[in-house]
Amino acid sequence: MNGAAPTSFDTWLSARADGEAGAGLDWLEAQRRSALHQVREQGVPGTKQEAWRYTSLKRLIEQGFARVEDEVTALQLHDIEELLIPGLDSHRVVMVNGRYTPSLSALGDLPPGVRVTGLRALLASDPDALRERLNGVAGESQPLFAALNTAGLDDGLVVLLDRGAVLERPIELIHLSVGMDEPRVAQPRHLVALADGAQASLIERYVSLGESLYCTNSVLELSLGRDAVLKHDRIQIESPNAFHITGLYLSQDAGSRYVGVNVGLGAAWARTDLVTRFRGEHAECDLQGLYLAGDRQLMDYHIDVDHAVPSCSSRETFKGILYGKGRAVFDGRVVVAKDAQKTDAAMSNKNLMLSQNAEIDTKPQLEINADDVKCSHGTTVGQIEPEKLFYLRSRGISAPLARRMLCMGFAEEIIDALQSDALREVVSEEVGRRLETAPLT
Amino acid sequence: MMLSVKGLRANVGENEILKGLDLEVGPGEIHAIMGPNGSGKSTFSHVLSGREGYEVTAGSVTFEGQDLLALEPEERAHLGLFLAFQYPVELPGVNNTYFLKAALNSIRKSRGESELDAVSFLRLIKEKLKILHLNDSLLKRAVNAGFSGGEKKRNEIFQMALLEPKLAILDETDSGLDIDALRVVADGVNALRSPERSMIVVTHYQRLLDYIEPDRVHVLAKGRIIRSGGKELALELEEKGYGWILEQEQAA
Repeated sequence: MNGAAPTSFDTWLSARADGEAGAGLDWLEAQRRSALHQVREQGVPGTKQEAWRYTSLKRLIEQGFARVEDEVTALQLHDIEELLIPGLDSHRVVMVNGRYTPSLSALGDLPPGVRVTGLRALLASDPDALRERLNGVAGESQPLFAALNTAGLDDGLVVLLDRGAVLERPIELIHLSVGMDEPRVAQPRHLVALADGAQASLIERYVSLGESLYCTNSVLELSLGRDAVLKHDRIQIESPNAFHITGLYLSQDAGSRYVGVNVGLGAAWARTDLVTRFRGEHAECDLQGLYLAGDRQLMDYHIDVDHAVPSCSSRETFKGILYGKGRAVFDGRVVVAKDAQKTDAAMSNKNLMLSQNAEIDTKPQLEINADDVKCSHGTTVGQIEPEKLFYLRSRGISAPLARRMLCMGFAEEIIDALQSDALREVVSEEVGRRLETAPLT
Repeated sequence: MMLSVKGLRANVGENEILKGLDLEVGPGEIHAIMGPNGSGKSTFSHVLSGREGYEVTAGSVTFEGQDLLALEPEERAHLGLFLAFQYPVELPGVNNTYFLKAALNSIRKSRGESELDAVSFLRLIKEKLKILHLNDSLLKRAVNAGFSGGEKKRNEIFQMALLEPKLAILDETDSGLDIDALRVVADGVNALRSPERSMIVVTHYQRLLDYIEPDRVHVLAKGRIIRSGGKELALELEEKGYGWILEQEQAA
């Protein structure tokens, strides 16, 4: 970084040595141009803007992240072995610094009607498969980081299931960040589309080798056709110095079911936007989350649920554990449209504060424009209860272990909702490990 | 002497609750402490186990020669002290088996013993369940969460069976139990009687002592033990109530 601190995100969009993905596709060029225009228009939002009220972008922009230039080709399978989850039988897709890396991936046999591939490769081989889908869920007008991702669109995971296709094993995306000589930003762009009646499960994991400084700005567009079912676990364990931004844009047709668990443990600064829209009746969306905001860590969640049609149900259940000088934001919003009768929506955010220096801004909101609905929201901010602590200690359990057990007990509900034992074990261990070194003041 | 309490005085906030309490408990003995509401029974149990919120202003408590009051609650448990809670605490999300294992291994570790592995631990658990005639359904649940009153008390006795304390304090273990549940709990306690294990049974009512027969009975009133005797003292109290003994005390 030379001279004055950067004041825009222009460096995020510098040219790539190996050329832009889908070069020469007019429709894609148009989307990129439109996104770039939106990025320029939005500038750097300040805390007067509702979406950034609790979180300043200063720390992020000051890093002057430059776009990843080169592919990391030196990694061998044994380099990433420690990152694999024992006992997890998956179709594995590995991306390194934003690029799909076939040599580290293990797709295995896919049943008929299922396509799992890299975005860049598909733009080259069959762009028409993407033309209607890219930006189909995120829409034309995008918030800043989605627009940045679109403007710098390069590679990502594409999962396409035909009508009625059923995937037995989960698709596991491992997004690995490897430190470069200067701070880099990768902007993976994922697309998951399940046609009517299709069923799949997806695991997204964001991990790193080492503790370097980098930024990941990912966008996932997810569309569920009629009666489609998707189980989706997302586990963010970025480097402790990393910045992590993610936007999940979800569209659900009638009768579809989405069950997602969002676990945020890593990164110094993390922002998550979850945007879901119902397009048909009797669809269900179950969104759960667990975050740890440790010392000098920021975890910022924005959830937007649009009950645009009647008879859908949504659950948003987020729990956070904060310690040291950890900070978290939970800004949740459920909007029930005028005609969306029989909507069933419940949003809750519970926080356990282990130190007095931690800070939480929590604001679950309901905007109800229909009269025959069942909606609720609630939020709690509490400490470890002394009588629980005493009970454990009276049984010979040391105070630090007792505190950890109570924290794990608090997190259990969300960890339990993960889709496999292997995943539960890994997340449990990671949460436990972090709490073990958590400062309690 | 296993436990020796001398001139113990303790406050809760501004109020003095224990006002010079003396008690000696020998190995293998069962002592009942009876008394009306507000006499300081629960305060005494809590002070012994090291709960926060009590200030000891005078007196001493020694447990096998060690100054108990100088120790943290977990250190007291390591020495072999166990409190069966009047109101066992619910711990949602904390699996009961995991909790029991953490407790047992913490105590073993403090004594320089090796931690039990999963297999030996489960074998031990099964054995203890059998002694207490309990089924294993409570193992899979979260600690006390959603348990009935009887289940909670049984879980306390089960923990006691597993942790094998030298001195167990049963704090109003009979409260809130119907006669069947009371019998189950008392049977469990009796199964754990041994020449090395002492117990202090704190209760308001005599009926628990029909099932757990004490060696000594003490009457606690206004923060002091005002009368001690054999098990016949409990029957006398049952017959005449606490009023009689309080009057005698005042007259004296």
